[in-house]
Amino acid sequence: MQRRDLGPWRRIGALANLGVTMVAATAIGLAFGYQLDKWLNTSPWLMILFLLFGIAAGFINVFREASRGKEKEGD
Amino acid sequence: MEGLEVPSWIDLVAHALGVRIPPHVDHVLMAWVVMILLVVPCFIATRRLQRVPGPLQNILEFLVETLQGFLETIVGPRGGQYLPLIGSLTLFILGSNLLGLVPGFKSPTSNLNTTVACALVVFFSTHIIGIRRHGLFRYLRKFTGPTWWLAPIMIPIELIGHLARPISLSVRLFGNIFGEDAVLLILLYLVPLLIPLPVMLLAIFTSVVQTFVFVMLSMVYIAGAEEAEHGELVAA
Repeated sequence: MQRRDLGPWRRIGALANLGVTMVAATAIGLAFGYQLDKWLNTSPWLMILFLLFGIAAGFINVFREASRGKEKEGD
Repeated sequence: MEGLEVPSWIDLVAHALGVRIPPHVDHVLMAWVVMILLVVPCFIATRRLQRVPGPLQNILEFLVETLQGFLETIVGPRGGQYLPLIGSLTLFILGSNLLGLVPGFKSPTSNLNTTVACALVVFFSTHIIGIRRHGLFRYLRKFTGPTWWLAPIMIPIELIGHLARPISLSVRLFGNIFGEDAVLLILLYLVPLLIPLPVMLLAIFTSVVQTFVFVMLSMVYIAGAEEAEHGELVAA
């Protein structure tokens, strides 16, 4: 089996999901922090903290996908 | 959501018998229809394998070879061993998406429960693959980031990032297929003759693309679990 060059196809798969992943990561962070706040009575600090974590996670996904594309172009 | 559901032959049978079917039952039955449609041809084709393949064997050989090529390109030379998982997902999701275009049938994937099940299978498989490949502690160390003092920040970020994967996989597939069916139904109510046809063509396209995206992302996640440390691939 020869290894074929997927080129744009692989990236279409990854890029099609980026938008949803960003939103999902932010929403998970928010929900997680909200529940922790309710449990520990620390409203609103954990919610803000975990919202930031979620936003960071979403952006890290975007950043990783973008930098992976750059490596491939460099070859 | 109830009002936008396309009535299927199951609803018609239930209506004729005067019984109320509980929610989700029709989608589960449709999933069984897809399974039968997939298992029976595969069983027939693999009983009498021939050196010069007939039409059915030819189609299946093409599918298997294409998927294996994808796996070996994305995951690496060891990718071929994940063919059973990826192949089953591809055929099931593609069959489910396309079944919704046959009048009287529904897509099992237009129910969030089906897509969540598929996404959870991928989610747990990737982590099991990662742990089997690297051992539990070396795999967990991938979550702590590049240096130890970044760990308190990186661990929650990585956990949230990983939890976002099954959600985005399942919601995207469900949303696309459900929306596609809803658009078809609305057009069918407005103009029943000929106008839904180009939309159905578009629906075939989105069905294939959504299957492709789901499977491609599963392979990317498996490749991520197979990676040695951050960034570098083992043998690719």
